[in-house]
Amino acid sequence: MVTLYRPGSSLWHLLATGRKALVLAALVLAISLLPQAWGRPTATIPAALCLACYAVPGIGLRVLLGQLVAMRWILIVTAVGQLIFLGPGPALVNTTRIAALISIAALLALTTRTTDLLDAMERGLSPLSRLRIDPQRVALLLAVTLNTVPALTRAAGQVREAQRARSARPSLRRFAVPFLILALKHADELGEALTARGVR
Amino acid sequence: MNGIVLEDASVRLGEVEALRDVSLTLDARTTAVLGDNGSGKSTLARLVGGLLPASSGTVEVLGLDPRRQAAELRRRVAIVFSNPDAQIVMPTVAEDVAFSLRGDRLRRAERAERVTAALERFGLSDLADRSSHDLSGGQKQLLALCGAFVRSPELVIADEPTAYLDARNARHVADHLLAEGAHRLLLVTHDLALARRCESAVYVAEGRVAAVGASAEVIAAYEESLRW
Repeated sequence: MVTLYRPGSSLWHLLATGRKALVLAALVLAISLLPQAWGRPTATIPAALCLACYAVPGIGLRVLLGQLVAMRWILIVTAVGQLIFLGPGPALVNTTRIAALISIAALLALTTRTTDLLDAMERGLSPLSRLRIDPQRVALLLAVTLNTVPALTRAAGQVREAQRARSARPSLRRFAVPFLILALKHADELGEALTARGVR
Repeated sequence: MNGIVLEDASVRLGEVEALRDVSLTLDARTTAVLGDNGSGKSTLARLVGGLLPASSGTVEVLGLDPRRQAAELRRRVAIVFSNPDAQIVMPTVAEDVAFSLRGDRLRRAERAERVTAALERFGLSDLADRSSHDLSGGQKQLLALCGAFVRSPELVIADEPTAYLDARNARHVADHLLAEGAHRLLLVTHDLALARRCESAVYVAEGRVAAVGASAEVIAAYEESLRW
């Protein structure tokens, strides 16, 4: 699974999950609402906030650098698009803002175990149980969805390897059919495993 | 303690009758299930584990009716499959083990204590914070076992748990499954050396029980059937 969590004892790690989510959501919202008309501060304020969030002991700017590298394609596409249609000034401001937004939001996953996220989500969604929505199920759906990404990535790799082993030329149809079968088989097995582990 | 009792149990999967009129009483602590591919071994394991309903006949596991007392059965019976990848639900090793206890409404401290003890028992303590999907095949199967045993089940059903493992890891996993303890074991396997380590065995052929009894006798009957 794509686990972003980094064990540690920083301020962000120590903050309760619900409160942390609220603080980060408030920061993200504030950055999103910064008026474009302010010009350069619309870029410098998010950048400064982002640096401050990552500068706390136990996280560090190296982690921030890793996040920026991971989202480089999003940033490049954004910057190029803005550069073409809006010019260099807005391109710099908006790209900086997006980089800061994603990096700040990523702090939640970086400093919170999935189990704690699920617990917080269950608590947060508990009022929905009045509407007959089971918060446990919603949280489980999130966990299973996240878990399925690496499983399907591995399945895709297996199909490609099998095709190469048989010297088959790459084709979408030849890839899609066995991949779909593997995906359905995984879904079956996962369903059984969840039932076996007490999920009703 | 009641074991596993089947009376004229049949299982139909679509057009195929995967198990036919199976009557069995299994009281030994460890039982191996042998048979060719497609003979109905895994169907028998799934029937006992409550994953498949009987189309006719009766099934009783630890004194429970798997169909009517499914929740209670889930609490007392753990199942381990051959493909550990499909059994991993959470991103890190410790979290995946803890997932098995989510439904038990334990206090956080108690849950952590049980997870730590289980990880230690299966030699996974050093990997607690590692990504579950980055483990080797043997480590993943140990994680699957750990996730099953953390609930202290009375019965463990293992469907070819060593199928994807090398000899060293297979022995390691088998040692854990067969270790003396409070649990009973129903082990579906093609590995006759592993089956010999069980007290009793069932030989399934074409959906029927061909032999049942002490493992040495049943294995001899199965080996006899392999002669051309």
